[in-house]
Amino acid sequence: MIRYTGRRLLQAVPLLLGIVTLTFILLHLAPGDPTTAYFNPNIPPDILEQMRRNLGLDRPLPVQYLDWLRSFFTGHFGYSFSQHRPVAAVIGDALPNTLLLSGVSLVLIFVLGCAVGIVQAVRQYSALDQALTVGALTLYSIPGFWLGLMLILLVSTPAVSSWLHLPISGMTSIGHESMGAWGKLRDDARHLVLPTIALGLASAAGVARYMRGSMLEVIRQDYIRTARAKGLSEREVILRHALRNALLPVVTLLGLYLPLLFGGTVVIEVVFSWPGMGRLLYDGILARDYPVVMAATFLFGALVVAGNLASDLLYAAVDPRVRYGER
Amino acid sequence: MRGTVERRRAKAPSGSGRGRARWPGVAARAALAAALAAAAACGGEGGPPGGAGAVPDSARRGGTAVIAGLTEIPGVNPLVPPPGYMASQVERYVLFMPLVQLGPDIGFRPWLARSWDVNDDTTEVVFHLRDDIAWSDGEPVTARDVAFTFRKAKDPDIPFPNRAYFDRWDSVSVVDAHTVRFRIRPYSQFLFGWSQVPVLPEHVLGGVPDSALATDPFGTSSPVGDGPFRFVRHDQGDRWVFEANPEFPEDLGGPPLLDRLVYRVIPDEATAVAELARGDVDLYPGLPPDAVGRVRSDSSLRVVTFPSSTYAFVAWNTRRAPFSDVRVRRALTMAVNRDAMLQAVRNGLGRVSAGPLGPWHWAYDTAWRPLPYDPDSAGALLDAAGWKDGDGDGIRDRDGRPFRFTLLVPDVRIRRDMAVMMQSDLRKVGVRLEPRIRDFASLAGAIQDPSRPYDAFLLSWSEDLVIDDRDYWACDRMGDPLQFSGWCDRALDAVMDSIPRATDRAEKRRLLREYAETVQSAQPYTFLFDEDRAVGMRADLEGVEMDVRGELRTVRSWWLRPGAR
Repeated sequence: MIRYTGRRLLQAVPLLLGIVTLTFILLHLAPGDPTTAYFNPNIPPDILEQMRRNLGLDRPLPVQYLDWLRSFFTGHFGYSFSQHRPVAAVIGDALPNTLLLSGVSLVLIFVLGCAVGIVQAVRQYSALDQALTVGALTLYSIPGFWLGLMLILLVSTPAVSSWLHLPISGMTSIGHESMGAWGKLRDDARHLVLPTIALGLASAAGVARYMRGSMLEVIRQDYIRTARAKGLSEREVILRHALRNALLPVVTLLGLYLPLLFGGTVVIEVVFSWPGMGRLLYDGILARDYPVVMAATFLFGALVVAGNLASDLLYAAVDPRVRYGER
Repeated sequence: MRGTVERRRAKAPSGSGRGRARWPGVAARAALAAALAAAAACGGEGGPPGGAGAVPDSARRGGTAVIAGLTEIPGVNPLVPPPGYMASQVERYVLFMPLVQLGPDIGFRPWLARSWDVNDDTTEVVFHLRDDIAWSDGEPVTARDVAFTFRKAKDPDIPFPNRAYFDRWDSVSVVDAHTVRFRIRPYSQFLFGWSQVPVLPEHVLGGVPDSALATDPFGTSSPVGDGPFRFVRHDQGDRWVFEANPEFPEDLGGPPLLDRLVYRVIPDEATAVAELARGDVDLYPGLPPDAVGRVRSDSSLRVVTFPSSTYAFVAWNTRRAPFSDVRVRRALTMAVNRDAMLQAVRNGLGRVSAGPLGPWHWAYDTAWRPLPYDPDSAGALLDAAGWKDGDGDGIRDRDGRPFRFTLLVPDVRIRRDMAVMMQSDLRKVGVRLEPRIRDFASLAGAIQDPSRPYDAFLLSWSEDLVIDDRDYWACDRMGDPLQFSGWCDRALDAVMDSIPRATDRAEKRRLLREYAETVQSAQPYTFLFDEDRAVGMRADLEGVEMDVRGELRTVRSWWLRPGAR
C-alpha cells in the first residue's frame, strides 16, 4: 500500500512537470504580455521596456523557464506581476477559500447524490423515481454559471428575499470583523449557500444517477434476499447491507468529479465574487500574470492527482477484494 | 488617462480604464462647461433632489457606503504601474492629497498647496503648503514629502507610468518646511501633473529601495495617507475598507460625512446589478447600458449619466490597400448605421461621433455633424475607388480581388455585437467583414506589433482632458506602438505641435478644431460614437456629483439617509 502510494506519487512528478511546462509554453505563445495590457500612451516605450526588465521578461524564454522552476522548487513561486507580492502569499490567501467552497460542495455532491439515488432505487419506477430522474437529468445538463445567475435572480426577487435574505456575492458581509464568533460563523455559512449549490448541484445529480444504478444492482443480489429472509427491517437491509456494497463504484467517482469541481470554481467564483483560486486563475490569464497562472495550474493539477490517488486508495479501503502492491 | 475601455476585462484598471492616469484631469483650464452642464442636467434623475441644504451636517453623518467595481484595485501607490481608473481616483480623492484640485471651471484650485507663485517667464514655481495636514501615522506633511514625490517620479529606475507629466519639470529645492520651489521649462497647463499625482510620505517610503517599491506593502496592505479617508483593510480580490479621517481640515470641507467607505470587487456585472437592487451595494460605476432601464424602473435606485471622454472607433490600417484610399475609408464610415448601433448596444447612452474631439471637450464645435449614414453615397464612393461587383457575387472586387477584410474585436459582448451589426451593414454595400474575436491582452499585443498584422480593429479609447494626440497621428511617430492607422499629414503635425505650446485660449481652440476637422475628413478611424458613462446608485445616497473628472470626486460629501445607514 505504501509502496503503491509512493509509486503513484513518483508518477505524478513528470505529469505535473509536463503540465507546468505546457502551461508555460502556451502562455508565452499567446500574443501580448503583462505590459502590453497597460496600453497607455503616457507610458513611453522606454518605461515599458524597463517594466519588462523589472519583471524579467526581457530574458530568453529558457532562462525564464529555469528561473521559474528554481523559484518553484524553493516553494516561493516567484512574484505576481499584477498583485505585487510573492505568489506564495497570493495563493495562501486564495487556496483556503477555494478548498472551503469545493469541500462543502463535495459533501453536498455525495450526501445529496447518494440520498437521492437510494430513494430512487428503493422506489424504482414509482412516480417519485420518475420525477427525480427528470430533475436529475435537467440539473445535470445546466451549466453552473447559468444556474448561479438564476439563483441570484431568484433570491433577489422581493417575494423571495423578504423571507430568505441570502448573500449573493463575496465571502463575508460588510462589518464581518466586528461580529462575534457565532455571528461570524453564521455569516460565513450564509455566504456559502448559493455558490455551493451552483457548484455542486449538477454533480450531485450525476452521483444520484450512479447511486441509483449501483443500488439497483446490489439489491438484486442473493445476500440481500437472504437478509430480508432473516426478517431484517427494510431500513436495515438497505442502509447496512446494500449501501456498503453499492457505495463502492460511487467512491471512484470522487476522482472523476474533482477536476469538474475545480474547473467549476473558475466560473462560479467569478459569478459569486468568491476570492479563490478559480478567480485568481481567470484574472491571472487575462492580465498575463505568468507566475500566478503557472502556480494556479500546478496546484489544480496537483489537487486532481491527489484526488485521484485518494479515490483509488479509498477504493481499496472500502473493498476488501482490492489490494495494491501485493503481487 | 487614455487607453481603452476593454482593458477592465484585462487586469489593469477598472472602470473605463483608459490607460493613462491623466484621465479626468484637465489641464485645459478651459471650460468643459458643456460637459459639466450636461452632467448637472442629468445628475439627479429619478431621485429626490440632494436636499443637502435642508439637512444639517450632524444629521447627515454616519454609515457605510459600498462601491462595487468589476476589477480589483491592485494597489494604491501611484508610483507603481499599472495605473488604474478607480485606483487613481482612490489615490486622488480618498487616501492622499494632490497639491492642487481641478475646479468646476477646470482651473486649478488649492488643495495641499495653500497657494503658489509663478515667475513671469514661467520657469519657476513655488508652492506654499498647508501646515495643518498630517499623515495617518501622525507625522506632519511637509515640503520634503513633495520633493521626495517629485524625485521618485523622475527617478529613471522606477517605471512610474505618468512620468510624462513632469517631462518639463527639471529640479526641486525645499525652501522651508512648507515651501518648495521647482524649476520648469515653460508650457501651458503645467500644473496638471500635480492635480493627478498625490504627494507621498517620505518618512515611510524613503527607505524603500527602488527595486523593492513595486512589492512594498505600502501599496497593498499598509498605505499611510493624508486624504479625507484613512486605510482600514484590504482583503485581496474582495474589498478595500476606508474610514473617515476626523482631522481633515474644515476649510477643505471637513471630515467626510460617511463613517466608512468600502470598495468591493464584484467581477460579474449581473451580480453587481443584483447587489445594487438589494441595497448591499450603494453605488455601481460603469453600469452596463442594458441594465440602465431596469435600474431606472426601480424606485429605490437612480441612474446618473455624464459625458465621458471615451469614444468607440474602428481603426483602419492605412498601410494596406484598400484602406490607404480616403474614399474607401469615408465610404466605410457612411455605410455603417452608427445611430442604430448606439441604440442597440448602448441603449442610446452617447452620441454618434463627429471626429476625435467629443462633446465633453471645451473646444468641441456644436456645428460639427457626423458623416451621414448613407449607403448609396458609400456605394458611389467605392465605385469611384474602383471597387465594383464585377463577377456579380454580391461582393465588390478590383483587379480580381474581392473586398474582404478582417476586423479584430475585443472579447466583450458589446464589442462583439457592434462587429456583427457592422458586418451586416457592410454586406449591404458589397463589403465582406470577417470578425476575429480576441481577448484583451492578445488584441493589445497584435495592434501594437511593429509589423502591424491587421486590416482593422474595433476598440474604445479614452481621450485625455489635455489633448495631445501626436501619439496617434504624427508622421515622425510612425514606428510608435500607438500609430495604429499609419495615416499622417505633415501640415497636421505642425498644428499638433503648436497645441501644447499655445497659451492663449482662443488660439488653442482654433488649433484644436483645425486638428479635429483634419482628422475627421481623412477618417483614418471610423469614429463610431462618444460614450456617456452611467452610474447606478441607491436613491438614498445623497451628495453625489459626478462629471468627467471622476465618480469619487465628491466622496467627502456623500451621505446616507438615516434608513440606509
